[in-house]
Amino acid sequence: MDVEDVFSSRLRIKILKVLAQVGELNVSEIARRLGVNYGTTNMHLKVLEDEGLILHKQFGRIRIYRLNQNSAKIKLIQNLFEVWENQNK
Amino acid sequence: MPLYRSVFKDETKLDINYVPHRLPHRDKELRLLTEFFNFTLQSPGAMSQRVIITGDIGAGKTALSQRFGSDISREANKRGINFRYVHVNCREYHGSLFLILQHVVSAFHPNFPKRGYSAEELLPILAQMLDEENGYVILALDEFDSLVEKEGSEAVYKLTRLQETRQNKPQRLSLICILRSLEAIGRLDPSTRSTLQSSIISLGKYSEQQLIDILNDRVSVAFKPLAVLEDTMSLIAEIAFSENGNARFGIELLWRAGKHADAEELEAVTPECVRKAVSNIVPAMRKDELAMLGFHEKLFLLGIARLFKESHNAYVSLAEAERAYAIVCEELEAKPNSHTQLWKYLQNFLSLGIIKTEVSKTGVRGRSTLIYLPRIPAFELERELEALLEDREA
Repeated sequence: MDVEDVFSSRLRIKILKVLAQVGELNVSEIARRLGVNYGTTNMHLKVLEDEGLILHKQFGRIRIYRLNQNSAKIKLIQNLFEVWENQNK
Repeated sequence: MPLYRSVFKDETKLDINYVPHRLPHRDKELRLLTEFFNFTLQSPGAMSQRVIITGDIGAGKTALSQRFGSDISREANKRGINFRYVHVNCREYHGSLFLILQHVVSAFHPNFPKRGYSAEELLPILAQMLDEENGYVILALDEFDSLVEKEGSEAVYKLTRLQETRQNKPQRLSLICILRSLEAIGRLDPSTRSTLQSSIISLGKYSEQQLIDILNDRVSVAFKPLAVLEDTMSLIAEIAFSENGNARFGIELLWRAGKHADAEELEAVTPECVRKAVSNIVPAMRKDELAMLGFHEKLFLLGIARLFKESHNAYVSLAEAERAYAIVCEELEAKPNSHTQLWKYLQNFLSLGIIKTEVSKTGVRGRSTLIYLPRIPAFELERELEALLEDREA
């Protein structure tokens, strides 16, 4: 997937941002925090995971997502969030 | 404004949650506990352990377990073992296995969802987490009787037999069960009991001299030099000894006496400060135990306290207590709970030692439960409960 495809979605950026802030969350909680429904969240999570930006762990019926810290892209994205937040302070 | 002077150097060292570095007169028990869990450091995963710590209020059960937990965690981390000591007060979690397990899981995954699964699902989830992170846990279940009371044998059985469903995998969960008397263990079914009763550490009552040693240790870290007179220490130790050797009571009394000394701008804590402090402390009961009671439990107990305050009788009947509770509920606009629920509350008060009960004997028609308030002045109890209920409303 090209970079513009990943970043073209406001929700995908929001998901990355919330995971960068909180560390790890299950699907319903991500959906609740972003104010969107479970299905939509799930769909975007799949895109981000296919791109290797996030990972999930399955505990029974519960899936917990976190950023893939081994991805060079995610390190850059986290950096981008930090710089952005600091400049806006 | 005059310069504020205090007898305290660091009053947090007298807080109920403070775990001292040294446990006077409990070294033998600490060594024994360390021996029981030696395998955690030597060969983690090779086995799991269940230990019972028992003893009266203020005998040092919680402090012993927490000191041990802190020591073993430090040692395990030094050796690169992913180990956690998780201390849970079962009463705080209303004796619910689900809530207790959720607390343990949150030690590994703080944002793990709070809803959407059962206790049965949580146990394998915890095992999976521990397997994936190569982690080991000693779960200390403080006020264990509360778990037994709420969940019965089944929950304890599940906890102790977790490993049986995980054949040939490392043993990752050990238990420390902390309780005042072994009576609760007796209520478990024989198979569950047998999994628990292998290692028991019984803490005896502290002597007056031992209490002085404990208080001395705390004084040295909590107070400025020479701020507590020797006579003050003896008096506190004497009172704590008469309260069944309750060290916690002694430490709380020490803190209160210090507060009186500060309020009167004294340079040292005198026996008179202790006498003043003891007159407004709720004896034989920890304030936090009252605070931990549920809303309706507080209302019911407030009703009982008011009944005793107004009557000169040594006891009140359960029916009278229920009527007094209904009045308190009306006052606070709460819907009264049923008789069965009130009966359960009464059993809880009984196990906490707040009340005593007796079944009426001859001369009274039928059989009714009589409630006694043996050691706590009714007006003190009323005042404490009203303050707690006010805090809740604020």
